[in-house]
Amino acid sequence: MKAKTSRKPARRKNVESVHPKIKHGGFSTILIVGDDALVAEYSAAASAHNFHILPPEKIRSISTLAKNISLAVELSNLNIEQKRKNLASLDAALPATTAILSSSVTVSVLEQAQWIKLRHRLAGIAALPSLLENSLVEVAPSVDTLEATMEVVKKFFDSLGKEIAIVQDRIGMVLPRILCQIINEAMFAVHTNIASPNDIDTAMKLGTNYPLGPIEWGEKIGFDHVHAVLNALFNDMHEERYRTCPLLKQLAVTGKFWSK
Amino acid sequence: MSLHIGIVGAGTMGAGIAHVAALHQCTVSLYDIHDDVIRRGIERITTELKKGVEKQKFSEEEMTAALKRIRPRTSLADLDTCDIIIEAVIEDLLVKKDLFKKLDAIAHHTTILATNTSSFSVTSIASATKKPHRVVGLHFFNPVHLMNLVEVVRGEHTSDETITRALEFGQQIGKTSVKVNDTPGFIVNRVARPFYGEALRLLGEGVASVEEIDRIVKSEGGFKMGPFELMDLIGIDVNFAVTQSVYEQFFQDSRYRPHPIQQQMVESGKLGRKTKKGFYNY
Repeated sequence: MKAKTSRKPARRKNVESVHPKIKHGGFSTILIVGDDALVAEYSAAASAHNFHILPPEKIRSISTLAKNISLAVELSNLNIEQKRKNLASLDAALPATTAILSSSVTVSVLEQAQWIKLRHRLAGIAALPSLLENSLVEVAPSVDTLEATMEVVKKFFDSLGKEIAIVQDRIGMVLPRILCQIINEAMFAVHTNIASPNDIDTAMKLGTNYPLGPIEWGEKIGFDHVHAVLNALFNDMHEERYRTCPLLKQLAVTGKFWSK
Repeated sequence: MSLHIGIVGAGTMGAGIAHVAALHQCTVSLYDIHDDVIRRGIERITTELKKGVEKQKFSEEEMTAALKRIRPRTSLADLDTCDIIIEAVIEDLLVKKDLFKKLDAIAHHTTILATNTSSFSVTSIASATKKPHRVVGLHFFNPVHLMNLVEVVRGEHTSDETITRALEFGQQIGKTSVKVNDTPGFIVNRVARPFYGEALRLLGEGVASVEEIDRIVKSEGGFKMGPFELMDLIGIDVNFAVTQSVYEQFFQDSRYRPHPIQQQMVESGKLGRKTKKGFYNY
């Protein structure tokens, strides 16, 4: 079974192309904005590879810094209105040659591209807290994304020592969609009093070799992010299959953890 | 105190449970209708135990003692004095119910009757007995001597004492037990459904290929195997049957819906590793 071949990033002339300003081995300046957990994680990973990080508050003075910025990364999954504002500010202030990477697990790259003028410079990434610990990052172009933009993405993650997988632009992308649905199912089992959270985690680790139990994994990612992905999937597909477990929703809203 | 365990069915699961119980000081009465099935079961146990000796998990003396503790039985009545009788026959509800009715009649009133079913309701199986409080699910995983988990399944009428004794047995044979109420798929077969189900949907929607999804799940998620590799290993037909069973038992809740790709693979005879063709070629 083969999937359709990946959509190729568009090749267009007559558009000022994105310039691959990322230097191998880092030493470039990048601006990172978005949800706290993701900003912290991406900043730490990029700093460790010699990137100079401009923190989210710099987005206000971005026009004066614009020339020094090689890449902007937008990492809001939770507040879509804020994401829209951030992307619009970045698009207005940054030179046309600067690429923008944006987390695209709760809203598609294509939809985000409609919020900005220079759509060709935007590419999506599957950003969910804690996933950057691992060795691969999923990336998705929209129909408007230029190949040069994808080159920047590849170069950036290369510099962080990560491989990339190019997938189609769909809410939840690949791993976040599978993982959030597993966590949701485990939460339904807790919610309907079928087993304790600890026993569910133990069963999945010993019975199917999962690296983490689904409940502890949900805590690690943050139930707010898990809920945001599930909610986006539900709104995208209108299928009961993606309905968030009420208990998971409660934890997302109150910010409380289940145990420990 | 050493437990006396009766095991009904000397196939893969029955032999595996006998192996582990005997190695952990239990006396085992291994029952099957046919002599030769028991003989093959004991041969398999012997082979696996020898591997354990080679890997220095236990000594040759311990292996010999374990084998001595396994008694072949071809009459159900010989299981009457067991502390626990574990059923590991084919997954057929009528066969299991018929067996539990017989076991209920022959077993001492303190004997626990356990089922190793993975797909039927423990409550339903217990309904064939007059003492459903002593019926419990003990769901082992294949291969039993390597998989350290047992799901202890509480049926509608299962007593606290039965659960306690089942947990003690799990501990005695060195397994980690988890408690679960009697619901379709228990914990593992239920919570694992989206691992396959969402992967199949992503494939069907053309979001990524088989190879890419497996690579992503392993390298981005840290899973040991990708969903398609794992379906090939389990058997695409077996995985499809489990999915269908959970889906039907939840009255067609869309979270458990099987995918047409699974059906097509099964109908085309691509069942995974065992047919050399599945999502991958072998």
